[in-house]
Amino acid sequence: MSNSVISVISRFLEEYTTKTSNKLKVVDAYLFYILLTGALQFLYCLLVGTFPFNSFLAGFILCVGAFILGVCLRIQINPDNKGDFLSISQERAFADFLLAHTVLHLVVINFIG
Amino acid sequence: EFVCLFSLVLLTVALGAQALTPSHHLSLSDVARLQALLSQPFTDLASAYYSIVGLSKLGASVADENDACHFLKAQLDPMSVDSLFFAAEASQAISDCEIPVSNETRDILLAAVSEDSTVTQIFRAVSALSSLGLPLASQEVVGALVARIAKEDNVLAITTALQTATRLSQQADFGGILEEIEDLAARLDDLGGVYLQFEEGLEATALFVTAAYTLSDHVDTEPPLKEDQVIQLVNSVFSKKSWQSLSEAFSVACAAAALSNNRFQVPVIVSAQGPATVSHNQPILQLLVTDVLSNPLASASVVVESAQAVVSKNVILTQAPFSLRDGIFELNFMTSQPASGYYQFSVAITGDTRLVASQVELKVKVSTEVAITNMDLSVVDKDQSIGTKTSRLGRKAHDSHQNFAMTFQLVDVNTGVELTPHQTFVRLHNHKTGQEVVFVAEPDSKNLYKFELDIAERKSEFDSMSGTYTLHLIVGDATLENPILWNVADIVLKFLDEEAPAAIQSKTLYMPKPDIQHLFREPEKKPPTVVSNAFTALVLSPFLLLLILWFKLGANISNFSLSPSAVLFHVGHACMLGLMYVYWTHLNMFQTLKYLAIIGSLTFLAGNRMLAQKAVKRYGLC
Repeated sequence: MSNSVISVISRFLEEYTTKTSNKLKVVDAYLFYILLTGALQFLYCLLVGTFPFNSFLAGFILCVGAFILGVCLRIQINPDNKGDFLSISQERAFADFLLAHTVLHLVVINFIG
Repeated sequence: EFVCLFSLVLLTVALGAQALTPSHHLSLSDVARLQALLSQPFTDLASAYYSIVGLSKLGASVADENDACHFLKAQLDPMSVDSLFFAAEASQAISDCEIPVSNETRDILLAAVSEDSTVTQIFRAVSALSSLGLPLASQEVVGALVARIAKEDNVLAITTALQTATRLSQQADFGGILEEIEDLAARLDDLGGVYLQFEEGLEATALFVTAAYTLSDHVDTEPPLKEDQVIQLVNSVFSKKSWQSLSEAFSVACAAAALSNNRFQVPVIVSAQGPATVSHNQPILQLLVTDVLSNPLASASVVVESAQAVVSKNVILTQAPFSLRDGIFELNFMTSQPASGYYQFSVAITGDTRLVASQVELKVKVSTEVAITNMDLSVVDKDQSIGTKTSRLGRKAHDSHQNFAMTFQLVDVNTGVELTPHQTFVRLHNHKTGQEVVFVAEPDSKNLYKFELDIAERKSEFDSMSGTYTLHLIVGDATLENPILWNVADIVLKFLDEEAPAAIQSKTLYMPKPDIQHLFREPEKKPPTVVSNAFTALVLSPFLLLLILWFKLGANISNFSLSPSAVLFHVGHACMLGLMYVYWTHLNMFQTLKYLAIIGSLTFLAGNRMLAQKAVKRYGLC
């Protein structure tokens, strides 16, 4: 059993490093960073406590939102998906990404207190 | 018409029931005080006038008449109308005192009687002329007065005019002046239906009363004052018992004299001599019937129209006359054998048609003595219904299985009638701990008083303290002459579950209670700064990781074009991020949105342009 899991993982890693373009890897790195940040915030909350709760929520939701937007951007600029997003060019995807982020930041800063 | 008649009768009865009686008058001590004030040594002619004439109104006289006369003559200034007035009036009050008169004097006085002098001047001139026996033309005076009243329309001026009219010949045509009495009466202020006075004060009111009655007597016409108004005026004038100035005292003395001795309306004052209480020892009810100066009205006859018990509404007496003895009216009420309690007496005073407020309501108390009879003390076992009767003296021990019972009757000593006084208490007192428990003994339907103490049930009131308790019976009532406090017995109470003697509740009840400190909301516990700082660093560390990863992936900014739109875009974007930080620290949402709109639109335009350029570069020229 464990053999198959290990073999699946190693196969996935191999395909990932060879097949994905650099641009996507850049976005993936960014997503990984966001993930880490969110996880660390959650860890703090578990360890130390929820005071001040609104700040924790703001930070966590920012991470979650940014992750989602990053995923959207990745989907939209992946050339393999070009068929699904005919009307949306890469620049347009990036612009949407920026706009959504502005709104997200506004809300989060309001909530962070 | 029967309905009309009935309602009229009802109305009169209702009005009669609310008839006002004087609440103030001059008692003998008040009259003495007034006389003392008026007997002050003279300082000037005016004070001499007030004192001499005032005292004569009260039926007294100055200490030394000769001295007074000399004083008047010495202080007289024959050129002044006022001086002549004071001297002339005062000399009239003293026997054998003549003020020398000359033609000049007469001329000065006559000259003062004109439309150009004030009413006071006219009054003083006219009075001086009449006191000195000099002739005067009444009709001229009337004319001058009427003219002056039109110009000086105040209360004092009109009152003075009325006073002036009393010195004129009775044949003169007073006409308009008489109507002024009624007009002035309309100007009086009604205070709570009890007082009627001018806002100018007591002196003005008293002078008005004097003038109204003197003038009415002079022209032999009844004054236009209703009974209620007269009583209210009496209340106003005599409510003040110490007078600030000689002129005020003088005005009160004149008013008192006018009210006690005029031809039309004499208010009568009825009061009980001592407390209005009768009993077997003092069966006689004594009433004082006087005028406002506390002079007894000997010619009056006093009759009790009805005496009605307040509680039972039985009418005990009707049409019973009082007998006069030594100036006091007496009635032996106990001959009617009234039961003890309060009685409402309706007393009528007749004998003089001038009497005002001659219907009086009086509350009389009949008191009696009470005796306790048929006292029975017993201890009843709870399971049994028949008790063992024990003697009254000695101590009894009771415990929780037994009830203590006491029955007795309260009777009127004189009549043998059973009584139900207001207060019948049974008090148990523990000498050692100072505890006191009071119970009420209640009568049953046969007026038999019963008190039962269930020791087990009442143990909370005793704090379960066993011991010797003295038992007192307390009987009291307003109509009892001999209230009773009787130590009936000492009883020993034994409670099953005795608690440790605690401090008596009542003692701590009135001590200051412990202070309550206000607890402010505690701020939430914050984690130590070290921990927060450590985690902040930890959370920021993935950014480093990101930079490393990007570097490893070969991400670079080599393709960065320095076109103006690109620069503007990046600057705008940076500004937006900076704005976020400033929003967090300083601004509110509205300000932020404002700045965001400006910066955002610029960034958008620049970004749009930049991305378009990028797209063109990538896809080639389209």
